[in-house]
Amino acid sequence: MNTDLEKLVFKWITTETNKVDVSGDFYCQTRDVFEARNDKMPEELIKKGLDDSLAYLVYAMAGELGNNAFDHNVGNWPNIMGAFYAFDYDGKDGIIIIADRGVGVLNSLRKAVPDLKDDLDALEMAFTKKISSRVLENRGNGLKFVRGNVSKNNLLLEFFSGNAKADLNHEMKISVSDQIVAGCLVILKFQNI
Amino acid sequence: MKIEIAKFGNKLVSRPSGREAYLAMESYLLKDLQKDEPIEIDFLGVKALTPSWADEVVTKIAERFSNVKLLNTENSTVEATLKTLREYSDLKI
Repeated sequence: MNTDLEKLVFKWITTETNKVDVSGDFYCQTRDVFEARNDKMPEELIKKGLDDSLAYLVYAMAGELGNNAFDHNVGNWPNIMGAFYAFDYDGKDGIIIIADRGVGVLNSLRKAVPDLKDDLDALEMAFTKKISSRVLENRGNGLKFVRGNVSKNNLLLEFFSGNAKADLNHEMKISVSDQIVAGCLVILKFQNI
Repeated sequence: MKIEIAKFGNKLVSRPSGREAYLAMESYLLKDLQKDEPIEIDFLGVKALTPSWADEVVTKIAERFSNVKLLNTENSTVEATLKTLREYSDLKI
């Protein structure tokens, strides 16, 4: 953790249910709220000098990541419904953070692959195989899109779920995390071209 | 038949909005067309596209029609989306 936003999101996702901040600007209770806020993001980044193409690319990636939070938890939130969503750009370095207190990747994918072993296996599968917990629908390509764009555009992405963490750049490394995240937490970092 | 994708918005992200767009296309644009009708999907003016939105539209059009062309695909999110759909959603165009 090295920014205030990162500290804030880890606090948001690990705090007790009755103490979660659901009144702040970062909280999106429904998909509509998330999309309305995300839709303003690329133009705000461009106004601060970010390259147009990169701004719309990270916007599209955030769209996939944020919609995932709602797609895989709607009607099934364990405690607080919705997502934490924040972004910042200082003219050189940018960050986008999306988190949810949902069921997490392992519990979600186990609906389609019951013998998945642990959080690490689940993250590996989510980023590399065409699979979705919504087994009756043809889904499951959003994280591959994110991974491809991270690699191609030299971005940095950290994805936490359960006790696993995926670090993505040109390669993907999955490891045990010292942060337990019940749900999912994604940090995307980018720099102006 | 040319389908101008930007008429559905220039930032096309979520699967529900893609589904809604395809339902509208089915009712107003694609309804009485034969399988071999030439279809052009034009991305001119699109600023951002995701696989979730496009999977509900482009993949479905490609499954239904045999003669589909893609126009103005230079936008980086359009390119990346089409690449993802070809790899993971069996898009053949």
